[in-house]
Amino acid sequence: MAGIFNQLDAQIAELLAGWNIYSTGLLVGIVVFIGWVVYDTQDADTHPLLLARQSQASYVRQPGESAIYRSPEAPHGYSLRTGLAVKPPGAPMYSAGRDGDLRDIWRRVTGEIPLEKNANAGVSSGTAKIMTVFGKEEITEHDVMEISKEISVIGQHLKEHNAKKVAIYLPNSVEFLSSLFAGAFYGFSPILIPYNQPHSTLIELLIQTGADSLIAQAGSVPLDEVSKGVSGLRSVIWTVEKTSRHMDWNEVPEGIGGKTDVSVWHELVSERTGSLQLPQDTEKAPNVVFLWQEAPGKPAEIVDFTQQNISAATGALISALPVPQRLSPTDTFFPGDTFTQSYTLCLTLAALFSHSTVVINSVAGPGIDLRIATRLIAPTVAVVSAETAAKLHDTTTTSITGSLKKFAHYLETRVLTSGKLPTDTFLTRLNAPTRASIGTTPGKLRLLFVSERSGHNTPPLSSEDLSDLRIYTKARVIYALTAAKVAGAVAQTNIYDYRRGTTPANKHCHFGIPLSSVEVKLKDTVSHKTTDDGPVGEIIVSGPAVAGGETELGVDGTYHEESERNHANMIQVLSGKTTHLRTFEETV
Amino acid sequence: MLHRASPVTPVNLILLSLFVFLVYLRLKPAKPQTLPRAPPPTVFRTFTPPELFPYNGQNDMPVYLAVRGRVFDVTAGRNFYGPGGPYANFAGRDASRGLACGSFDEDMLTKDLDGPLDTLSDLGEEQFEALRGWEERFSEKYLIVGKLVPVGSEEAKAAAARK
Repeated sequence: MAGIFNQLDAQIAELLAGWNIYSTGLLVGIVVFIGWVVYDTQDADTHPLLLARQSQASYVRQPGESAIYRSPEAPHGYSLRTGLAVKPPGAPMYSAGRDGDLRDIWRRVTGEIPLEKNANAGVSSGTAKIMTVFGKEEITEHDVMEISKEISVIGQHLKEHNAKKVAIYLPNSVEFLSSLFAGAFYGFSPILIPYNQPHSTLIELLIQTGADSLIAQAGSVPLDEVSKGVSGLRSVIWTVEKTSRHMDWNEVPEGIGGKTDVSVWHELVSERTGSLQLPQDTEKAPNVVFLWQEAPGKPAEIVDFTQQNISAATGALISALPVPQRLSPTDTFFPGDTFTQSYTLCLTLAALFSHSTVVINSVAGPGIDLRIATRLIAPTVAVVSAETAAKLHDTTTTSITGSLKKFAHYLETRVLTSGKLPTDTFLTRLNAPTRASIGTTPGKLRLLFVSERSGHNTPPLSSEDLSDLRIYTKARVIYALTAAKVAGAVAQTNIYDYRRGTTPANKHCHFGIPLSSVEVKLKDTVSHKTTDDGPVGEIIVSGPAVAGGETELGVDGTYHEESERNHANMIQVLSGKTTHLRTFEETV
Repeated sequence: MLHRASPVTPVNLILLSLFVFLVYLRLKPAKPQTLPRAPPPTVFRTFTPPELFPYNGQNDMPVYLAVRGRVFDVTAGRNFYGPGGPYANFAGRDASRGLACGSFDEDMLTKDLDGPLDTLSDLGEEQFEALRGWEERFSEKYLIVGKLVPVGSEEAKAAAARK
């Protein structure tokens, strides 16, 4: 025994006899390396097991359908989110609150209903802030009380003219929001028509929706054609930009006679001197009509959303974010898509409800260039369409030249995959990857919502594209699936989900979990049937945010359980033919 | 005479390989964390009494019982309703009368499985009260996995046609 130990001892002594300066150098190197690893390691933004199982499936499923999937915020057995939980001032903090509608959102904007006392609320000035940007001009801040006055004036004017369905044909603007809120206060139903329509489509849409009034930009609508085409049109209100106000827009073209009453927005506002308080009655506010249209000029689906649909969606969008990430008074919100999309509108309402600063740019639309649209502002939160995100991704990717930039991009991708963001490390300061320059102050953007419209052939964003967008914008990116009859979104990815490679590279990334205002199930179709291996079928959405209670999306979502993750491949069936295969993952 | 220290010694090689190994561990992409697969959801089924009968916990079957047409999965309460438990008579059967009257006797169960279901028409108000209480407890505690219909009814024929 002793001999073996002696031999071992002699061997080790012989080994260590070769210790020289290089050995000391290597040992110091190892110690420094371990020290740097210990110093540099951070926790991931969220626990990876929380990402592995996200939406909750019910334990029982009906034959011919899959289990019902819900957000963890609204587990099975509890009700889905029905509204905003508006509490009157002075109510105890943990009281339930009522559902609320657009009127309560405006009352929150003006400060009549105060912001809840919240550790994360930030310092609110008492009201939300609304600003507009016009092209290359300065940013103008609007006084909330002035806007209240405009709402009151326009609402009273339309009420006096017995308007029941008012078509709003405006780009994103303060007048758009004022008309929308006026509808809720003064009992008429706004019809939100996407801007930039060819005249024939506009007339057709006005006839289909049965509009009896129209609010439009002066000069954007040929009044004689529209008045002849739409027999029920009774009153028209022109909004005029400041530079054109010297012209007289009151004149009515011949042939219309006294049928249509034409007024001008700014003249109405300056003339009215009567009572300017917003009505306080609590009877049910009328519905808001949205148009789901693939592109201007194409036929549109007319969707009637009740006030509850909208407030349920807004409430669900607010609570979908974890508390440290929610919209707060310190945020600057930029809607990069039109207000005629319910997702953008509900997020804007959520921003107003949280007393953020909302910056409205009239060029906002489905395919804008985000860098140009945010030239004058520094948004912290933005919502864009999938086309804008794809464009941003493509232009920034082509601008990456040089292997150093590619290497920096690769390193940041690795950090993202390990679950951490922001990705500023010592190495990135030395060698920063290519970033997209959004906003005047780089790095302010912290959250980007990307909305995918189901059934509209929007460009797919794969999980790698989303990961690249996170690096380019240095912000968290949320990918949402929106549909015609669902207010807000059907499903949204987790804000901390930075995973890549979960879905095939040229197809849509997964869409995460349903919002807490809807529940999703998959119904068997001819080609896709749910089995014990996994759910497959047509996506059916139901809940308080869905117009009519329940709707099918017209696209198939299938689940395939592949290793540890559930995937749902969405096959779009258009009139019996399968088109491209899209992927939709709902992780369980 | 100054000997130049040679970089290639056994100690150096060991230390170098240790260094390379540590760097490799650091740079290796992490395997994504996974959760074991959840059991697939139970399919809601329309049962007739003969079909419900095997679900009494024997032969590794789950334990089901029916209360007023709704079938509950009481496998979690196997100690009570499973084989050898005090209420084992209820397993795989229509337990409505037994729960209403508070008795576990054999004569509380419908003898003829192919016949019509027990209509409970001769029960009094307080027995219905007891039954409702039991049903509420069951709804809160156990999962509803099916409904019970008599043999030969329209629903039974429709369910058989669907299979």
